[in-house]
Amino acid sequence: MGNFGRDASRRHVLGGLAGMAAFGTASGGRAAPSGQPVRVGGTLSLTGPLAQTAGIHKIAAEISVEEINARDGFLGRPVEWILLDDQSKPEVCRSLYEKLITVDKVDLIMGPYATSPILAAMGVAQRYGKLFIQNSMGIPRLANYELQIPATPFGSEPNKSYPKVVFDAVAGTKNPPKTVAILTSKFPSAQFMAEGTRDVAKERGLNVLMYLEYEFGARDFGAIAARVKDANPDFLWVGSLGLESNMLLEALKKLDYVPKHHFHLYPAPGPLAMSPDGKNALASTFLEPDEPFLSRPGVKRLADLYKDRATRMNLPYKELDAQAAGMFSQWQILEQGVNGSKSLDDRTIATWLKKNGATTIYNKMRFDGPFNHGDPAQLVKQNQGNNWKVVWPKEFAAPGVSLVSP
Amino acid sequence: MRAQTGLAGAVAAAGALGLALLPMAGMPAFYDSFLYLVFFWISLATSWAILSGFAGYFSFGHAAFFGAGMYTTANLAAKHDVPLLATIPLAGLVAAALGVGIGAVVFRLKRLRGELFALLTLAVTFIVATVILNTPIDGGSGVFLSNVPVPKIVASQSGSIYVLGFVLCAATMVIAWWVAHSRLGMGLAAIHDDEDVAETKGVPTFRYKLAALALSAGIAGAVGGVHAVYVGFLTVGDTFGIAVPLYVVLMSVLGGARHWLGPAIGAIAIGTSLYAFTGGDMAMIGRAIVAFVLIVAILVLPDGVVPAVQAWLKRRRGAISTAPVVVAAVPPVPRMAAPDENAPVALTIRDVAKSFGGLQALRGVTLDVRKGEILGLVGPNGSGKTTLINMITGHFPLTSGTIALGDAAIGALPAHRIARLGVARTYQIPRPFAHLSALDNVALSAVFGGAATSIAAARADAGCWLSFAGLGGKAAALPAELNLHERKFLEFARALAAKPKLLLLDEVLSGLNPSEIDRAIELIRGIRAEGTTIVFVEHLMRAVVELSDRVAVLNEGTLLALGAPREIMRDPRVVSVYLGKDHAA
Repeated sequence: MGNFGRDASRRHVLGGLAGMAAFGTASGGRAAPSGQPVRVGGTLSLTGPLAQTAGIHKIAAEISVEEINARDGFLGRPVEWILLDDQSKPEVCRSLYEKLITVDKVDLIMGPYATSPILAAMGVAQRYGKLFIQNSMGIPRLANYELQIPATPFGSEPNKSYPKVVFDAVAGTKNPPKTVAILTSKFPSAQFMAEGTRDVAKERGLNVLMYLEYEFGARDFGAIAARVKDANPDFLWVGSLGLESNMLLEALKKLDYVPKHHFHLYPAPGPLAMSPDGKNALASTFLEPDEPFLSRPGVKRLADLYKDRATRMNLPYKELDAQAAGMFSQWQILEQGVNGSKSLDDRTIATWLKKNGATTIYNKMRFDGPFNHGDPAQLVKQNQGNNWKVVWPKEFAAPGVSLVSP
Repeated sequence: MRAQTGLAGAVAAAGALGLALLPMAGMPAFYDSFLYLVFFWISLATSWAILSGFAGYFSFGHAAFFGAGMYTTANLAAKHDVPLLATIPLAGLVAAALGVGIGAVVFRLKRLRGELFALLTLAVTFIVATVILNTPIDGGSGVFLSNVPVPKIVASQSGSIYVLGFVLCAATMVIAWWVAHSRLGMGLAAIHDDEDVAETKGVPTFRYKLAALALSAGIAGAVGGVHAVYVGFLTVGDTFGIAVPLYVVLMSVLGGARHWLGPAIGAIAIGTSLYAFTGGDMAMIGRAIVAFVLIVAILVLPDGVVPAVQAWLKRRRGAISTAPVVVAAVPPVPRMAAPDENAPVALTIRDVAKSFGGLQALRGVTLDVRKGEILGLVGPNGSGKTTLINMITGHFPLTSGTIALGDAAIGALPAHRIARLGVARTYQIPRPFAHLSALDNVALSAVFGGAATSIAAARADAGCWLSFAGLGGKAAALPAELNLHERKFLEFARALAAKPKLLLLDEVLSGLNPSEIDRAIELIRGIRAEGTTIVFVEHLMRAVVELSDRVAVLNEGTLLALGAPREIMRDPRVVSVYLGKDHAA
């Protein structure tokens, strides 16, 4: 997290100004975009096992396109988003990107979400030299395509940078942990982070009492919970996805065990926030609909628009969260790249973005580091009163909010 | 007919050549990928059907073989720099070896049929996935292949993968066609309908199932090898999920799993439907529509599209005669003298015993049957007659004792080898293969039990035997289209087609009317006149006395009496057993 607050270079300021303009209120007195639409194609997993979260991305993308068209579009032309359903299948995802590029002949493409579809689509983008912006590639080193732009600030080595943030967060409490238990789903990006966490824990002199991997999709956490109870760590780190954290905490509760500090990597935000077992749970985030984030230009508007749309769509969790923010960020990067470079040429846009960066819902982002990542900006949030509040680093904590220690 | 077949072959070859050259036509890469995915599903569904459709061993484990192939290629190509093309046959071999390993254990256990087999294959998938997930093969982090070079078969990468997919698909279809038209296919079809009967007709069921599983798994593995590079990033969750087994089952069932072409038709329909509603606004509704259409199609065409079309064509051609069978009169055969006591022994049974748990069905039966003899085997219900037939044919293993056919000990041989040595039987309740025509039911016996050198020759023989049994007009009929009498005579025909040395007839006359019985008696005499030894289980005493040279009486698993028919009928012990002690007095 050492790069937080780094002085921005001149080119980043320029990029930021472009971004500020993009964030302004919708119309801003400009003429409506006109002419032949700029067609941007992409897929989401609207059906299949990944469909649970597709609604989040779809709403965020729809709002983004509406906002862009309410401003100046791309180069004064309206933006048309061509969305296809990749059915949560990487092979279908690959072929649909080929369709978008070689049959529909879209001007630009937009990346899908989740590691497997992203990698399937990125291969196509690479073969056709297309700019490829994605927001949920949790293992940056796999995204080694030069025109790939990450829209979420994981940093190039989140397995090293983020564990430090998490351990810093709990180290500052009144009961800093001395022992840690690490559980992780055998899901590539979760396992990647868990291994990094284990290494960082050892480097910091923490005693790693257990490191246990369970199969992705596990439902029965009874045996794992028993081992956690036996180990009784000061800090339980869980590389969970979706509802796995809820199930683990329920299993621990049946054993009359309440973990002390406990952290969850990618939990389903709504269910864990609403669960009594999730009290004081820590989790990863990049942004929450709270201060200081709402003071960033345009963020409050996007958060309100998102909440309204998510409520109408009856999504289970209606607040702006990291996934929706990732999709907003993708479109903000594309808008600034196109309008900043004044081009629809993929390489030209990518070059401009690498040179100038972009100002997104995540604040200023750079794309000139390894794997086109800039500074990491992964934060720690805590479930306080059934709401997620950013608690670390302190400068991102909501006013009056601090990490509650067990 | 031959000209039509030749024309169809030429059209298929031209079509295949056209498809192979398609990537050179410069069409957009999407069509390469779209067609590749259709080829992919055709290959997978067809390979599944080679075991599960043809042999009826319904498997949910295809993802295990497919995944084994994917990870073989992924590991060899991405971690050990083995050229992609070299990994694909290895992927097939690894998957085939896995299949053979599983089959070698599972296929020996009779109880692991039907739903138990399906569940077991599902469990195998989980085991393979767990092993891969918890070893360096994957380890949970996935295997990344995007940097593996794809051989430049044509200009574009998508075109090269298309060619690989097409070659595998074409090879799969050729293999499926060959299997369906070979002894293997005929044997698998019999296994599908009645595995026990197939074994007693001479089908080496264990070997055939193993071969089918090896082919099925090997093709799936090779297909997985190509698909690994197409997808570019493998995870255990994506690879071993329920999607592959679910889709291949659905495709095969829709197209017709028992026909070599059926799964391909289903794969084209469903594979294409994946792209029917990809628009973002239609996704959910589109998937629901596709699912609804599939449900309706499967309900309306339970056997699948291809069999439904075949049945329609058959009806259109009027292939099945609806007229009652004119039972040909069998010319009277003069009674032959019984073989004398010095005639060579065809069948030797020594101290044969059989227990089923606590039930002693046979208690040390010793009996010789002379060559050319008709031996009547009688006894009250439960006396052990059918059990003895089952022991001779190898259907049940002996608990103790020995059985020899001529000089060859057959007591420990599997049923199919006993059949090959010249033992044929009929069943008390006819057990024809339900999905084979009358002609093929008989031809199968000629192929596996007899000396037919080809299926064509066997069919020619089968036609003769059907005519001999009075079923000449019913060659194309399925057993369900025959009445009981016709099915009894079908049993005769298929037993005779094996040209047996020893024929075991198990109550063939029950349920027949007097004129049919007379005809059957003449038929049996005719068979003996050809030199066949006959053991004849029957309750109908008139027929027993008329036909038998000697009669053996079983009671409570022991041989009660043995001798000339009229003497045996007067034996007080026999009368007592049949009619009670009052009549015997």
